[in-house]
Amino acid sequence: MLISFHYTVHTSLDVVEEKISGVGKALADQRELYLGLLYPTEDYKVYGYMTNSKVKFVIVVDSSNTSLRDNEIRSMFRKLHNSFTDVMCNPFYNPGDPIQSKAFDSIVSTMMVQAF
Amino acid sequence: PLKHNSELFTLTYGALVTQLCKDYENDEEVNKQLDKMGYNIGVRLIEDFLARSSVGRCHDFRETADVIAKVAFKMYLGITPSVTNWSPAGDEFSLILESNPLVDFVELPDNHSNLVYSSLLCGVLRGALEMVQMAVDVRFAQDTLRGDNVTEIRMKFIKRIEENLPVGDE
Repeated sequence: MLISFHYTVHTSLDVVEEKISGVGKALADQRELYLGLLYPTEDYKVYGYMTNSKVKFVIVVDSSNTSLRDNEIRSMFRKLHNSFTDVMCNPFYNPGDPIQSKAFDSIVSTMMVQAF
Repeated sequence: PLKHNSELFTLTYGALVTQLCKDYENDEEVNKQLDKMGYNIGVRLIEDFLARSSVGRCHDFRETADVIAKVAFKMYLGITPSVTNWSPAGDEFSLILESNPLVDFVELPDNHSNLVYSSLLCGVLRGALEMVQMAVDVRFAQDTLRGDNVTEIRMKFIKRIEENLPVGDE
């Protein structure tokens, strides 16, 4: 189960690359961090968000969940971005390490429970 | 007084602590170094404090406690801890900090369970009070970073310092 998530997320990273580099000038001018729906698969919908520092956030939602609106996803990404910033500000955190922050985990869990 | 965003201050202190952790590889030693640095800051900061706050000489330790909590902490850290837990002899009290700008965003990793992250504050208080002829002992009794609900600094009056003893850097 976990492996298939990893696979889905990995594939979506390629789509992120496409989205930010492929569309040429029009997209490069956009200051939008939210990348929207990356690609729908049979089982999941995958949404992307990339910061100016090239940090990518990916949210994977069950396809059967049709009640989640675009602005709710956007707000989830904003919360993730803010929590991530707090993790980065922990002087004991080395950028690139897996995140082991209790505060971050609790915000993510709360967010996932609230969404469904 | 200018209002600064405290993130640079918080991150600077964090960088200092983590560098010390790398240099000394021993939590107790890092605590000592932070305390020493704090002391060197305190013996200087007291002059700035006395000049800016125009507080008169404190008549007793209770007055000192109030000045520390309501004037000094407010001036330098923007917080006002509460003064509680006085000893019967009136020579020891606690400062309870609900928040502490030094520790914003900080989470102690498991391998630093003996680190008293804000040890600098103990040294600052000790150094500052020494310059007004008071020898005190300052330590953290509770620390939110180590799982307690509040942060508690315990201050104990040791003795009055005679004016003609020279005081230098540690």
